Amino acid sequence: MSDQVLLTTTVGSFGKPDYLQKARNANARGKLGEAELTELERKATEEWIRRQERLDIDILVDGEMYRGDMVAYFAERLEGFRIGGLVRSYGNRYYHKPIIASPVRRPKPMTVDWFRFTQSLTDRPVKGMLTGPYTLLDWSYNEAYRTRREAALALAEVVRQEAEDLQAAGARYIQIDEPAIHARPEEIDIAIEAMGVVTQNLTAKTISHICYGDFAAIYPKVLELPVDQLDLAMANYGYRWLDLFDRDRFTKELAIGIVDVHSHDTESVATAAEGIRKGLRYVSKERLLPHPDCGLKTRTVEESEEKCRVVVEATKVVRAELARQATPAKTAR
Amino acid sequence: MKTTVIGAYPKISDEHQDLRRALHRHDRGELDSGGLSGVLDESTRWAIGELDWVGVDVVNDGQVRWDDMLAPFARAWEGCDRGPLERFYDNNTYFRQPVITGPITTDGRTLVRDFEFARGVARGQLKAAVCGPLTFATLAEDRHYHSLEDRTLAVADAIAAEIRGLGAAGATLVDVEEPALVAHPEHFAIARAAIERLAATGVPLALQTYFFPADPLLDALAAFPVAQIGIDVRSRETHALDKLNALRQTVVLGIVDARNTRVETEGELVRLIDAALKRIPAEYLWLAPTTGLEYLPHTVAVEKLRALVTAAHAAGGVKA
Repeated sequence: MSDQVLLTTTVGSFGKPDYLQKARNANARGKLGEAELTELERKATEEWIRRQERLDIDILVDGEMYRGDMVAYFAERLEGFRIGGLVRSYGNRYYHKPIIASPVRRPKPMTVDWFRFTQSLTDRPVKGMLTGPYTLLDWSYNEAYRTRREAALALAEVVRQEAEDLQAAGARYIQIDEPAIHARPEEIDIAIEAMGVVTQNLTAKTISHICYGDFAAIYPKVLELPVDQLDLAMANYGYRWLDLFDRDRFTKELAIGIVDVHSHDTESVATAAEGIRKGLRYVSKERLLPHPDCGLKTRTVEESEEKCRVVVEATKVVRAELARQATPAKTAR
Repeated sequence: MKTTVIGAYPKISDEHQDLRRALHRHDRGELDSGGLSGVLDESTRWAIGELDWVGVDVVNDGQVRWDDMLAPFARAWEGCDRGPLERFYDNNTYFRQPVITGPITTDGRTLVRDFEFARGVARGQLKAAVCGPLTFATLAEDRHYHSLEDRTLAVADAIAAEIRGLGAAGATLVDVEEPALVAHPEHFAIARAAIERLAATGVPLALQTYFFPADPLLDALAAFPVAQIGIDVRSRETHALDKLNALRQTVVLGIVDARNTRVETEGELVRLIDAALKRIPAEYLWLAPTTGLEYLPHTVAVEKLRALVTAAHAAGGVKA
């Protein structure tokens, strides 16, 4: 894989199979035990690993079969958080918005066992997946800390502990998502400072996924976020963020979203391939990673798989083009 | 001093999830539009009933039918499509970005049916609400008008038509929800020109600002031709409370933070009210949450309303 260009990956979550969705509901109603649920989560995780291998994705994820919401999952495992009632995010989608009720502390690792299990299933690299401190803060109610900076730095400390444990467990890629980073552009220094706490001791490749907001408001400042790779939704935005790179050069690796995740239909391979070609105008093939715009947890298993298939097929089309360009033609042009 | 609410109320609670289930069933084709509409009406009845029960003096319909603040208009207006999901200001809440594809036109009846339904339900005074023109214009993608000013004024004409429709249906007060004004104070002149078009309808307006401090605009706001101005004095660093006497309109003071779960104590709220009463007379002061209560879980929203109503009474407010 090391010689491969345009490594494919995904943002983190996949659609959950029906049997798991039913089991989660039953568990929530107290009608299915934790051990039984965990067994089904492991089964679904293994199925997703096999699917990703079959689809020929290069850098895998565990698919988050055991997570509901990307903030609540951590909030439920950190001391200091309380899980709040349901709040709507859009349309008919609701989530339990957590409350930071007292100073936060990590009693024990939260994702490391899942990482070990998933990595044991495959020879391909699996990413460690975390939610960044600024997003944990911004998507929670803060009752405990006097300022948002204080809260973000306290959260950064627990995320740092988790990230370092993932690295010790063998993670070569650690993704620390900050989809809320542009919520308040005037606070980007806080997000950067907090991410610095998280990644200061990491040698693994670090990635941060950012989506659904005014990316222009934080560019080029966001290039100071101390991670190796930014992972951006692009298809949903008609690739408009690429125009920003004309003005200020993009200096990191770019994981580029080439299929929209919020529609049931998927773009054609040709359309997705065009997205990769657009990205190649700004980032070299060694530093560009095609993927779907965002996590696929709102899609069915079949839709998730179809979107991944289009990403991989489109990547293969462009790889073949690049290979043809690299092989000198016998007749001079 | 009257108590009121702004914006959307939680659409569901832990116990009351009919709407959520109905929308899922509608999505799966198991419930037709008529069935869904019935559930939406029941949910509206539930929301208004709660506002009445807690003792809010001037209620709205909870905006139960609104997916987001722009949705009813983007759906109904000619010249508007609905685009991608976008984050709504600094909330973990999303809206469908309107895409303006041609001249915006409306029959002005977008909200009339819902207002008439709510009027049949509400026991006390009912107000209506519309999206502020600058807010709509700054959040939309524009493929037709060529400047922010043209776009905002075209939206204002459409909103004015909606307000006329509401006025004809009996609305005596309409909230104009305009967070963009405080998010982009540099556009206040355009916003004011737009609000003047709404005011020309003759229907009394309440200009509701929220999410961002109103400090840079307090003097300018005094010249807006509206009956009321909503100011958040609770959720962000602000000195607006000290400068309320700059305003000539009734002030709708946002004193319970609708974006944080910590419920304000009566002491905290009474201190805010007393500070306001040093600057403006009680008959020019209304009390409200800082923005729509839908940013809170239902149980907390109710606690916040109770805190609001209790503090209003403690500070000497009289019920309408």
